[in-house]
Amino acid sequence: MRYELQVNAQTQVVDVPPGTSLTSVLRDDLGLTATRLGCGHGSCGACYVLLDGAAVASCTMPVDEAVGHRIVTVEGLAQDGHLHPVQEAFLKEDAMQCGACTSGMLISAVALLDDNPHPEPEEIRDALSGHLCRCGVYGRIVKAVEEAAK
Amino acid sequence: MSRGAPRGWGERPPEHLEDRIVIRLDGEVIARSGKVEYGQGIRTGFRRIVAHELRLPEEAVRVELGETDVVPWDMGTFGSQSTATDGHTLRIAAAYAFQLLRERAARRLGAAVSDLVADQGSFRAPDGRTASYGELAAEAPLEGTLPASSDVTLAPGPDFAPDADRVEARALVLGEARYPHDVRLPDMLRGHVLPPPRTGAHLLSLDDAAAKAIPGVVAIVRQGDFVGVVAERREQALQAIQSLEATWSAPDGNPEPPLEAHLRSDPGVEAALAQGELRHAATYRTPHIAHASILPSAAVADVRRDGADLYVATQRPFGLRDEAAAILALDPKDVHVHPQHMSGMYGGGGWGSAAIDAVRLSQAAGRPVLVEWTRAEEFQRSAQRPWLEARIEGAIRSDGNIAAYRSEVRTNPHIYGSGRVPPEVAGMTSGRNAVPPYALGAMDVALTVEQAPIQTSAFRSLAAAPNVFASESFLDELAALKGEDPLALRLRHAADPRLRRVLEAVGDLAHWAERPKGDGHGFGLAATIYHGTYCAEVAEVFVSQSGKVRLGRVFAAVDAGRLVHPDGARSQIEGGIVQAMSWTLFEETKVSDGRITTRGWRDYPIATFQDAPEAIEVRFVGDEDTPSTGIGEPGSVPIAAAIANAVCAATGARVRELPLRPARIQKAMAKG
Ligand code: FES
Ligand code: FES
Repeated sequence: MRYELQVNAQTQVVDVPPGTSLTSVLRDDLGLTATRLGCGHGSCGACYVLLDGAAVASCTMPVDEAVGHRIVTVEGLAQDGHLHPVQEAFLKEDAMQCGACTSGMLISAVALLDDNPHPEPEEIRDALSGHLCRCGVYGRIVKAVEEAAK
Repeated sequence: MSRGAPRGWGERPPEHLEDRIVIRLDGEVIARSGKVEYGQGIRTGFRRIVAHELRLPEEAVRVELGETDVVPWDMGTFGSQSTATDGHTLRIAAAYAFQLLRERAARRLGAAVSDLVADQGSFRAPDGRTASYGELAAEAPLEGTLPASSDVTLAPGPDFAPDADRVEARALVLGEARYPHDVRLPDMLRGHVLPPPRTGAHLLSLDDAAAKAIPGVVAIVRQGDFVGVVAERREQALQAIQSLEATWSAPDGNPEPPLEAHLRSDPGVEAALAQGELRHAATYRTPHIAHASILPSAAVADVRRDGADLYVATQRPFGLRDEAAAILALDPKDVHVHPQHMSGMYGGGGWGSAAIDAVRLSQAAGRPVLVEWTRAEEFQRSAQRPWLEARIEGAIRSDGNIAAYRSEVRTNPHIYGSGRVPPEVAGMTSGRNAVPPYALGAMDVALTVEQAPIQTSAFRSLAAAPNVFASESFLDELAALKGEDPLALRLRHAADPRLRRVLEAVGDLAHWAERPKGDGHGFGLAATIYHGTYCAEVAEVFVSQSGKVRLGRVFAAVDAGRLVHPDGARSQIEGGIVQAMSWTLFEETKVSDGRITTRGWRDYPIATFQDAPEAIEVRFVGDEDTPSTGIGEPGSVPIAAAIANAVCAATGARVRELPLRPARIQKAMAKG
């Protein structure tokens, strides 16, 4: 079935079986592999994307429900060759080790700061609580989001 | 040229400059290592080491890791040893290359070696003429057996800046880093495998009619006990696997006989135990836990008649190359392993089963195949950390000194697939850190390694974390017998000055002397010497009435010798602490009737943002002229005991089994 999607400010048309997850469409049909598949059940946060500015799990979202919404993936965060302040801050704080969780973390951090430009550390932890990091970089990620808020 | 055949444990191949450092005419410097990067920062560290010796900016050096066609043979990236071993080799190689280039420059420019100045990839003579590394390297091959470290002059320093961007960091934040999951080859199919329900079960029957009918399915592959599907889309392959009806035999059960080894056997232990004023015995247990990488395993194989390319995440590129070559009946040199970016493996990335799935499916399909395991498969098909049980006995003399220490450790193989290793290897792996690093009178440490019904494997620090949980908990129990301060007891029994130094430093950092005790708030201490790295940690805990533990601050004092990449080292220690506090408080793989029943994050919770320590303070106390030792694992080793000791200080509850679940703590609190 044909679907028309708005991804990173571009119109994309895909032809996939109904019910295909948004993660699969992004990764397998559009080649946007920054969105990662960690669990497929909404419990790790690796696959988050922005949907009309809100951070959502793309692995549990059928492509049918994404139609008509603005989708932004990590590939769409940098603008005109300039990193998003959240990306800059992650670099500055070296808030990653293996990087498997990084895309999802960046997405939720961007959504948080759009909503609440000066969050308290506790609010940052809350906003990112759907994201697991097995390398244990949590402390640096909180610092990076604080840094990005400056 | 990759050199040499696999070697045995502990053997080192002779090293050659041409395998390690290549300088191109345009001045590009390539440094090569068989190690792989998985977020521990070795690419950055190696680049700094080589750039420093060659007096180059870091950007001038490109590091190639694990590409089996070009890097020298390597057994695998384990044991936090990459900087210590390969980093050292690269340092010698770079220093030797520098020496050869400088001699050539002196001849070419007609100047004395001592009058040449190296700057930005060129040598400058006093008369102002220059010769670039590229042109000097082009004069004749830069090659030869590497000299001993005493025969090369190393660059003065180190003067490493504390903060260096990791080489991969930018690609990660841009989402450009390519994991095996992200490899897309022309004509590539998606594959999935139906694993046997238990290791060693044989396929009796297979009905694939429903699976074949699923749109997009290209082939059902059956070879002996191997069953898989290739399809156009991932979902289709998965759905086909779920539609297969298979029956399996019971596993052939011939467990290896247990292996026994003695790691320490001082004379007179029995007598010393009997003569002590106070005698104490306790048994500690740690369960199976999962590596639980955030991205489940994945691999791409492109198998052709005359060769194969594998795009994988593995800690053993050469081992995987040889294994794939054997399956495909190819010469190992025709199998090309391309390590991709890796989701953290934490010691579990030795065997690349997803890569083997992909190899078989690609061979059968005649097209490239990407295999991505599901989360449930990742839990159920991965080898787990062994369980471990340590029964420890000790005695204290009337002067408060420990007279004897005896421990019997039982566990499983801590390297994949092997009960068949020599006893000294079992001692280095399953017995790792079973002998405490203190002078505890007469000591006796025995090890029994038995096969578990599920597959077990290496895990960050091997048996060190479980063993140190046991021995460092026990030391606190001994201290409590005489009412002695746990830090004072350790300092009194620590003969090694570097161990004393990290203990003192962590005491200082945590304000140990003024720490609060009781009322659900407590501090606990533990220390280790792990592969030459000294690490002492203090954990602060808050324990609720219901037995729930929250971590306050964690303090670590670490001596890892010369630090090449201090902020990377700090990040590794922090990450090790967070991961190990997660093992300690939450983790246990569920095994029933010889199979793993854990399926997802809901039945395998790990530490989240809310659970992580409030703050982590790391102090490095090593000397700059002491050789570098590993930092990937030591931070994770003492934390379980530090937390258990803190829980006891906070509540009086001594819990000797992990994880420290609220129910266990509450029960121990009730006992008082
Ligand atoms: S992959 Fe979507 S939440 Fe885990
Ligand atoms: S950096 Fe590895 S999982 Fe977060």
